[in-house]
Order: sequence, then C-alpha cells, then structure tokens
Amino acid sequence: MLLGVGLPLVLVVAVVAALVIVKVATGAGGPKSGPTASAAAGSVVAQVTSVPASVLNEVGVGVATTKPTKITAPALTADGEPRVVYVGAEYCPYCAAERWAMAVALSRFGTFTGLGETASSPSDVYPNTATLTFHGASYASNYLSFTAREIQSNQVVNGAYAPLDTLSAADQALFTKYNAPPYTDSAGSIPFIDIGGRYLISGSSYSPQVLQGKTQTQIAAALADPNSAIAKAVDGTANLITAAICQITDGQPGAVCQSPGVVTATAALTG
Amino acid sequence: MRVQDPADGQRPDRAGIASLCFASLGLAISIYLTVEHYSGSTALACPENAAINCAKVTTSSWSRLGGIPVAVLGLAYFAVMTLLVLPPVVLPPAWRRHLLDPVRAAGAAAGMAMVIYLLWAELFRVGAICLWCTAVHVCTLGLFVTILWHTAARSTATGHSRVKG
Repeated sequence: MLLGVGLPLVLVVAVVAALVIVKVATGAGGPKSGPTASAAAGSVVAQVTSVPASVLNEVGVGVATTKPTKITAPALTADGEPRVVYVGAEYCPYCAAERWAMAVALSRFGTFTGLGETASSPSDVYPNTATLTFHGASYASNYLSFTAREIQSNQVVNGAYAPLDTLSAADQALFTKYNAPPYTDSAGSIPFIDIGGRYLISGSSYSPQVLQGKTQTQIAAALADPNSAIAKAVDGTANLITAAICQITDGQPGAVCQSPGVVTATAALTG
Repeated sequence: MRVQDPADGQRPDRAGIASLCFASLGLAISIYLTVEHYSGSTALACPENAAINCAKVTTSSWSRLGGIPVAVLGLAYFAVMTLLVLPPVVLPPAWRRHLLDPVRAAGAAAGMAMVIYLLWAELFRVGAICLWCTAVHVCTLGLFVTILWHTAARSTATGHSRVKG
C-alpha cells in the first residue's frame, strides 16, 4: 500500500521541488516590457477629448467604485490658478485605467496636445491594459494648471521599469506627504492625483478589468456609448473628477460644472 | 489494517473522510475565487509583495484555459470530486462499486497534473504566487494522497479477503 501512495507522492513532490529550484536559481518571471509608447492616433484623441455632453450626462457616476477623497490641505496652485497634479507610471495598470477618465475630464477644461498611447506591463495585474500616456503631452487651460508625471516607463531595463519623468522637489514633497496615511490607505500608491489640495485620488477609480482585451480604438469608441461598460466606468469616473475640479475652479466653466452629469457627480462627491 | 468497504454501505474510513474534507475545502475556495473572478478581483483578500500577488495571478492571461476561467474549472473539478468522494451512505448504490475507484484516482491525478501546470505558470509566466490558488493546490494534493491511500487500502483489504476466502 505504501508503494501505491508513496511513489506518486514522491513524484509530485520531486516535480514541484524541481520547479521551485529552477525558479530560484534562474530568477525567471520578472517584469516584462510592454509596447513602446507612440503618438496616439488622431481618431482616438478626438473621441477621448470630445465625449458628447449628452453621454456624460446620461452616465452620471456610472460604475465608478472609488470617489475622490476630500482632504484639508493648503490650496495647490500655480501662477494663481488651481493646480492638478498627476503621478503615475506607464507600466501601472491602475494608472492605465485612470488616465482615460483623466483625459476625458480635463478635456472639458482645456486642451491636450501630444498625448501618447501605450499599454501597461504584460507581466503585472490586468496585463497589457491599453491606455494613453501623459509623458510628453502638454495641456493648456484657462481654468487650471495640470502637471502630469509618468515616473517610470513600461520598458524593463536591468530587471526594473526604466525611470521616465522626474518630480520637482515640491511635487516630490507633495507626493510623499499626501500619498500616505492618513490621507490615503497606503503610502506611495500610483496613480496619485491631487486636485487643488482639495481632493485626492489614490489608485484607480474603477477596475481595469473592464478594459481587458480592448484596444485604444475600441475603448475610445465605447466612450460615446452610454450603455457600454467602458463608458459607465470611464465616463462615470470622468464626471467625478470633473466635479472635484469644479470645486477648485469656482464652478467654472458653468456649462461643464452645471451639466446634469457633473451635478449628479457633485452630489455623490459631497454626499 | 481494517478497511471498511464503501460497497458495503458502511461508514467511510479515515481516508474517505479526509478526501471529503479536502474536496469540500477546495470547492469552497474555488467558489470564492470564481466570485472574485467575476467581480474583477477587487476584493481579493491576499497580502501583496514581490512574490505574492493574488490579483496579478487571477487577472493574468494564464487565469484562463481554453477561454474558460481557471477558477471556474476548479469549481467544476471540486464539485465533481466532492460528489465522487461522498460517504458511502450518501452515494447512490451504483457509485459504491469499486469500479469508481479508478475514476477517483484518475480525477485526483488529473488534478495534480493541473496543479503542476498552474504552478509552472505562476512561477515562470506570471512571476507571482497566489495564496488562495496555493490553498486550492494543497487541497488537490491532499485529495490526491487520500484517494490513493483509500484506493490502495481497499485493494489491500480486497486482496487479503480473496486470499482468506
């Protein structure tokens, strides 16, 4: 009887031990590079930056699972304008999800140029999540200042994701202070978004799962369909971000901040 | 060693009870992982560090096999195995035959083969270990050992009885 049980068990243990030994010896399975970032397709940029107001109004807060958190902190400004700071990384799947909503929301207050497209790491959670990148992009607005920093790319160099943008000393201090308890659940999470010193977002506001297997083109197209799961997640989050931004722009522009979708999101934000 | 024969409709032996415990526990964890799979793995209770990351495993492309979520395959597997190792007093009469022993053993072996494949994927493709998945793997190993033990013990007992008879 011992042979009947012992031999198969020894074989199983031997195979498992061999797998673990080879893993430890070779260190295989580390981070992997994603696609190199490139300029976003014009059609994608056009669809993301001009989601119809009617769609945003219909979606409301959609299925966004996390709202921006209100904080008490000194107003964050630049040249007298309220300032929004985003810190993320191109390999990060949660940043990949949040960027779509950020781009939709900020496009209601200003204009992006030079947006790129890429995907999150193929070896991280929610692998290869199609996204935009703020690296190399610029933003102009009459209502606010926006600083975006992608601190690491999705390209692996010497076993780690390569550094990309650097934070100014002031932004590093901001990131260190406010991206930690008691302001957030855990320290150093990305994406980290500070909306005028009034609201914080740490992590993604919806599950990146909804974007799995989709291309930038498919995601951008889905934003205009209020019944799509992607619109409910991205546009819903965009309305919440918009509502938070409206709090620091004194409700300007009125056409945006008084729109039904943003009014609904404001109620959710302050309720 | 005295081994009671499920074919007699008597109480199960210790190996049979252990099999049922492992199968039931594996089924419970598989249900949890399936629920988490369809809820986007947003509430997966699991520590996270460089080596352990449940969400990284359960949301990777390796979390599906032939388009079917591995969590669902695990649920189906443990549901079937739980039925197969139910106590003799619960099983339908036809299931108490010794003829089902090879089916149980084959199921246990198939489960172990799957465990080795998934462990390989975790270590060499995903680069992270999922603790909940590991718990399921341990259940599968336990099921494998106890089913072999049960089968071997009954074979031994049957052999003795034949010699005696």
